[in-house]
Amino acid sequence: MVRFENVGLRYGMGPEVLRDISFTIEQGSFRFLTGPSGAGKTSLLRLLFLALKPTRGLISLLGRDVATLPRRELPTLRRRIGVVFQEFRLLDHLTTFENVALPLRVAGERLSRYRDDVMELLHWVGLADHANAYPPVLSGGEKQRAAIARAVIGKPDLLLADEPTGNVDPVLALRLMRLLVELNRFGTTVVIATHDTNLISQVDAPVITLERGTLKGIG
Amino acid sequence: MSATSATASASGWARPRRQTPRRQSAVIPRSQPAMRTLMIAISVMCYLASLAIGGLILINRAVDSWTTDMAREVTVQVRPLEGHDLEAQLARAADIIGRFDGITEVRVLGREAAAKLLEPWLGQGPLIDDLPVPRLITVGVDRRNPPDLDRLAAALEAEVAGVSLDTHRHWQRELTRLASAMQWLGLTILLLVLCSAVTLVVQVTRTALEANREAVEVLYLVGARDRFIAGAVERRFLRAGLTGSIAGTALGVATFAAVTFAGYAAAPSGLAEASRSLIFGPSAQTTIAYLAFVVVPIVATLICLVTARLAVLKILRQAF
Repeated sequence: MVRFENVGLRYGMGPEVLRDISFTIEQGSFRFLTGPSGAGKTSLLRLLFLALKPTRGLISLLGRDVATLPRRELPTLRRRIGVVFQEFRLLDHLTTFENVALPLRVAGERLSRYRDDVMELLHWVGLADHANAYPPVLSGGEKQRAAIARAVIGKPDLLLADEPTGNVDPVLALRLMRLLVELNRFGTTVVIATHDTNLISQVDAPVITLERGTLKGIG
Repeated sequence: MSATSATASASGWARPRRQTPRRQSAVIPRSQPAMRTLMIAISVMCYLASLAIGGLILINRAVDSWTTDMAREVTVQVRPLEGHDLEAQLARAADIIGRFDGITEVRVLGREAAAKLLEPWLGQGPLIDDLPVPRLITVGVDRRNPPDLDRLAAALEAEVAGVSLDTHRHWQRELTRLASAMQWLGLTILLLVLCSAVTLVVQVTRTALEANREAVEVLYLVGARDRFIAGAVERRFLRAGLTGSIAGTALGVATFAAVTFAGYAAAPSGLAEASRSLIFGPSAQTTIAYLAFVVVPIVATLICLVTARLAVLKILRQAF
């Protein structure tokens, strides 16, 4: 599913923010990615959701070598990856329904085909009543759930979440974790970047630990 | 997503009342200051383009009409010379002219008529009676079967003293040159309008993409292709281009109509009458004008769309 071999990353001419990262994530597995602030978690996630290319090393994602992937094939691969951003990144001019449906819309599906699926997912995350609401009027927890719904609506093979419970209270955090675990049960590979040790302790899953841009351990 | 129903209660959220959306918003926001600027600029450009096109049509018609009139008639001038009977010279000249094929009319202007032509310069009075005023013969020419004017001039000069043939070719050439210059001016204005429109659309595209960078990035991350984003931006330009170009062209047509109403009563000729024939004239005259006016917004909108698409694709390839 995911394979990193001696991956290095630097921004421009700056120092390497990731050095010699090597690990493998099997299909259908659940992983935490942790480490202190500035350890490189977000940079690693950005490599995983194809927002960046490594400056060295090999990344194999969903069976494709990222370094040799032509630009025109990126969208096809991205549609197999769901991403939950720490800052949600919902589009303020679209309703909750439209934000959640966005991956299906850009894939060319018709509203009549996905309307019921999106509404069902909104029920599932408790946002059906807010389907026509715009993100600025949603609470932090509601935005977080909308972001998760958008990430999973396309039934991705790989779900990446950056601090998915960072903006919500502990009760809501637990509910969101249940959502992600259930998605994993349905076959989606899940990688969650967090430095919340309490959250990590609630799920029995391997943890990839980063420290100052290097892999400290997997366990 | 049927599996999601089963897990709803486990996740802790109840199933509330359904609110099903029926339509979708644009992925690139509707209201953009840059788009409003573009719409206003496009309307100004289409206004100028409409004036330039209308002006070109009027100039072409006027020059065509003038040159047709000139080609229909030539003038023979006979100067009074000592020792020659002017009336006999005129009669001789008229006789020679009448023998040529392609002549429809030969009219010898009387002395009074010739003197009247000089009145604007010399005024009325005894002075004009004392001057040796040249006499004129107006010669009608069959445009479909014109006479050989060089041969006519040679025949007249051989047999009539003090004669000269004015074929108006000089004026025709001058008018044709003027018309050509005006056409180039009109085309240059259209070209400048086109260049300005392209430059503006590229700049507005850049601004629109920069203003919507977050939306574009999110679209990419959820799997959008370049052409999906280009299509979304294009739809914004379609609205701005179509609205602006129709408004600008309508204003251009209204300007010609206003010139008709403003100037016709005061001076029933010239620009006002020409504008009237352009806008309210018989269908044979207005069809081309209205076709040209319909083409303006279509071309302007197409320029908007094609330029925006190419610009978006280039910017996306460079920046994302």
